[in-house]
Amino acid sequence: MEFKLEAHRIVSISLGKIYSARGQRGGLKLHKNLLVSLVLRSARQVYLSEPGCPPEPPPAPAGHPEEEPPPRTAAWAAEEPPLPPPPQDEAGRDCPGPRPRRCCCGENRGGCAGAPPPPHCPRKRSAGERGQAGSPLKKPRREEEEPPPLPPPPSPPCEQEDMETGNVASLISIFGSSFSGLLSKEPKGRRRPPLDGGEAAAGTAPAEAAAEPGQICCDEPVLRTLNPWSTAIVAF
Amino acid sequence: MGEDTDTRKINHSFLRDHNYVTEGIARAAAMQASPHCPANVPQPSSEEVTSGADIISTVEFNHTGELLATGDKGGRVVIFQREPESKNEPYNQGEYNVYSTFQSHEPEFDYLKSLEIEEKINKIKWLPQQNAAHSLLSTNDKTIKLWKITERDKRPEGYNLKDEEGKLKDLSTVTSLQVPVLKPMDLMVEVTPRRIFANGHTYHVNSISVNSDCETYMSADDLRINLWHLAITDRSFNIVDIKPANMEDLTEVITASEFHPHHCNLFVYSSSKGSLRLCDMRASALCDKHSKLYEEPEDPSNRSFFSEIISSVSDVKFSHSGRYMLTRDYLTVKVWDLNMETKPVETYQVHDYLRSKLCSLYENDCIFDKFECAWNGSDSVIMTGAYNNFFRMFDRNTKRDVTLEASRESSKPRAILKPRRVCVGGKRRKDDISVDSLDFTKKILHTAWHPTENIIAIAATNNLYIFQDKVNSEMH
Repeated sequence: MEFKLEAHRIVSISLGKIYSARGQRGGLKLHKNLLVSLVLRSARQVYLSEPGCPPEPPPAPAGHPEEEPPPRTAAWAAEEPPLPPPPQDEAGRDCPGPRPRRCCCGENRGGCAGAPPPPHCPRKRSAGERGQAGSPLKKPRREEEEPPPLPPPPSPPCEQEDMETGNVASLISIFGSSFSGLLSKEPKGRRRPPLDGGEAAAGTAPAEAAAEPGQICCDEPVLRTLNPWSTAIVAF
Repeated sequence: MGEDTDTRKINHSFLRDHNYVTEGIARAAAMQASPHCPANVPQPSSEEVTSGADIISTVEFNHTGELLATGDKGGRVVIFQREPESKNEPYNQGEYNVYSTFQSHEPEFDYLKSLEIEEKINKIKWLPQQNAAHSLLSTNDKTIKLWKITERDKRPEGYNLKDEEGKLKDLSTVTSLQVPVLKPMDLMVEVTPRRIFANGHTYHVNSISVNSDCETYMSADDLRINLWHLAITDRSFNIVDIKPANMEDLTEVITASEFHPHHCNLFVYSSSKGSLRLCDMRASALCDKHSKLYEEPEDPSNRSFFSEIISSVSDVKFSHSGRYMLTRDYLTVKVWDLNMETKPVETYQVHDYLRSKLCSLYENDCIFDKFECAWNGSDSVIMTGAYNNFFRMFDRNTKRDVTLEASRESSKPRAILKPRRVCVGGKRRKDDISVDSLDFTKKILHTAWHPTENIIAIAATNNLYIFQDKVNSEMH
């Protein structure tokens, strides 16, 4: 169990490092970010493989009790086809797309304690919607979902959902409330000084690691070059 | 080393008989005090000193040891010169004083990639001296420059058409012809950029190495190594390319590289996975396929989340003999025999007490610190830096080691350095430092050893310390 906590902590720290690497002078350091992503990967593997009793997940969306767990897992499933999807993930599969969308879906409708302020959510949602060919299923579901309590709600049996729930909270705390520049295709011009929980330059740190340093692009091929965790960052 | 009178003083049991004497040169102060600086060299303002622009980022002796170059984060290079030994005191070895200061690199902006390019000097390498001038290569993340350093101590006087200030004379005042003569003047050191090797690298340059043929050199970034000719700036040959077709498959990067000191066809490069690859340029034009791969299997009992990070090699140096290689990873230094690929012949623990603290060191980024390592002139002693301004020396013959500290408080000029000790629990002696009270912001990443004598240069953040071996006077 402590390995799980340790792994979770390491994942949070690593994500924080990747985030803050974007604001660094001189461009992304490929070596350091590679090492951080390796640590991230092994911590995640440990987290997922460790048996443990992590906390329960948030209650399922009211309108669709049969869809356990909530669509949050779907985002991951879509991004990680090789991983076995959680059994109740059927409906969730319909919503691929960036994580923040899920976050918004699950937690921001009607506001959520400590979550990014609502003004940003619509943007995330629309960004996510852009990413998929319109799933009417999602909208009604979103309407009906109850925001799970934050910080990380109790988690389900040890599957990838665990990681996401807890991680969402830590991601939220890391990235704060600003998600501007999402999926922007134009390279950001002058580097803005990093603000606290401030604007992230189009989630490009891992993308930069993948492409030439500094090249900002959120093209699909580039997104695919990142491991799923990094994809989450890109989405943010 | 030979049997001449100098080396007679330096025997190999240095840890018993020799003590390192401080010369304690503070670099920031030295820069302002130089008599040789040309007038237009920017001097550090008080803001610069506090902002970190004068944090030393590389230290390198030239081939004779007469000159010592340092590069800093602000793109400046400061060269120190050793004063010739005074005839009156034959045992009072010369001190190093500032010889020249110049701005090597400026911050740049890559408009295509919207990226700022840091001016920090990553590496300096001296070229072997071929005439009266000295030359060195300095590099930042992207651009390598060849600088020529010349002295001027005479100037012509007595021109017919110009007066002393260079203004044209009124011709009616010229009544006779004179031959200009060379008159001595105050020594002036001039530094000029002779070549600029730009646009060779997409990723950040981490090392440069001059070939023993004195005509070519190589530069390595995270994924590629290029071979340049010193006289040609618009072209370079790519000799190693480890960039995968799909960046998603990237698992390791190049961390350091060096040419063999004698064989101009051999070079080595180290990776973030802890392996070394020796390549022979005669084998093929592209040396992606190594000739020898030096790799030690990981100790499974030490496995942790951070095993990969701490096995990443931060520096590799050939011995002067060319027979061995020295590598530094986060916790150890290892000596490899070129003839044995399976494991190093010697492993020395630099600060193994940090092994249980890797998670905290990961959090505060210290685990990514890149320490360098150095051989002494006879390849009998190796040296590397650590935290708390400590640096370590290992005698390969006696297997003894010592920890010394580079700080103003503990190093008065001419004072002998006292060995330090880090206690890890258990009984604690007086003056021991406990692991928890180590200052991780004071790190010695860059050290250099004089090519022939026991003189070492230690960079501690923005201070440069030069220590000389003080031989026991009873021996003479």
